[in-house]
Amino acid sequence: MTVFCIQAQETTPTTKSLDKTKTEGVIPASPKQAKAKPSSATKTDTIVPIKKDRYGVRVGLDLYKLTRGLYDSNYKGIELVGDYRFTKNYYLAAEIGSEDKTTEDDRLNTTTKGTYIKFGFDYNAYENWLNMENIISIGLRGGFSTFNQELNSYKIYNTQHYWNEMPWIESGKSFNGLTAGWIEVVAGVKVKVYNNIFVGFSLRMNTLLFEKKPDENFENLYIPGFNRTYAGNFGAGFNYTVTYFIPLYKKTVKPKEVVKKEIK
Amino acid sequence: MKKILSILLLVIVTSSSCEKDDICDANTPTTPRLVIDFYNITTPSVKKNVTNLKVVGDGMKEGIVFNSSATGDDQYLTSGTSISIPLKTDANSTKFSFTLNSGNPNPTLIDIDEVTFNYTRENVFVSRACGFKTLFTFDPTNPYIHTAVPSTKTKWMRVISIEKSNIANENETHVKIFF
Repeated sequence: MTVFCIQAQETTPTTKSLDKTKTEGVIPASPKQAKAKPSSATKTDTIVPIKKDRYGVRVGLDLYKLTRGLYDSNYKGIELVGDYRFTKNYYLAAEIGSEDKTTEDDRLNTTTKGTYIKFGFDYNAYENWLNMENIISIGLRGGFSTFNQELNSYKIYNTQHYWNEMPWIESGKSFNGLTAGWIEVVAGVKVKVYNNIFVGFSLRMNTLLFEKKPDENFENLYIPGFNRTYAGNFGAGFNYTVTYFIPLYKKTVKPKEVVKKEIK
Repeated sequence: MKKILSILLLVIVTSSSCEKDDICDANTPTTPRLVIDFYNITTPSVKKNVTNLKVVGDGMKEGIVFNSSATGDDQYLTSGTSISIPLKTDANSTKFSFTLNSGNPNPTLIDIDEVTFNYTRENVFVSRACGFKTLFTFDPTNPYIHTAVPSTKTKWMRVISIEKSNIANENETHVKIFF
């Protein structure tokens, strides 16, 4: 590092001396003026774009979960979302929700009820112009859910169809005190539509870390917040949010690139 | 933007490829059939081929298909040393009629025995796609009732032996029949 610095220091004087020798040949008085002008120009340039980033809390809810209850009689759910901007590009983010879902599989009919919390961060990868505040983000969440499952009815699987196909067997057996934890990778977009109102959506890939399965004869088919379980520990989800931004304070944006040039 | 789009695409592709576990894999052990092996009564260690055996469940018109590649009545006949037959999963007993030399033009050669298997059932969870399976346990005091048709005739099955009281898979012989 020191070597580079020395080199940089050495090169700049030589160029200046070269300029001097050249300019001195033509007009002797002008170089002083020419030197003074660019330095003042750079100073004024840094002051001109006064860009201020707003920092604050954004709260809202998932419209998908809320409206799904209107057309899907097997589903009731709500999810509150929130984030807090703590640096220029990083946001603390959380989701809290509750779900009551009846799943109708080919041979199983189950109801899952429970609540969940997800906590993590979003990184805004979008460079905004002027006072735009849009977000295209990648983030991580840790999720945790407590829930219970009820086996409403089931069918016996038989490779042979010699005897008549068995009807649904009513069960009503419930499995309580179930828990699960997982990690989500979140890709999301938020767009400011009006004043402090944002709409956004996110897609999530989930990896189940641990789960408390029913003691006997069953498994977790749906986990609130994690959604449907698959063979292995993979899951996926998405939300469609409307949020309101509450500004707390402002920070002026430092023109980073200009500062670097001045140091050199 | 391109990176994010590619990640979104990845999510969609991977989630759609996971629909496979909606279909119950044929190799998954589900409700087991009753496996019966036939042995020679004179030399009980040697398996014996049945001739044109037809097995019909009580109340059913057609027999159990043993040879799905054959056409007509031939598909219900077997001349092997082993059969696998489905027990009822909604009752604690299943009655079958076993017809030896079925379809033989000489009616004196046709022998019919009826066997009722008594058992208890347990429904066990398999998976989302397969639902539940039923496992059976033979009634310890009275596992089967064996009669000839008509009852005055001698039974063609000389001895019925319960080898496994728990019917949990199809990889083992549950019942041996000597004739």
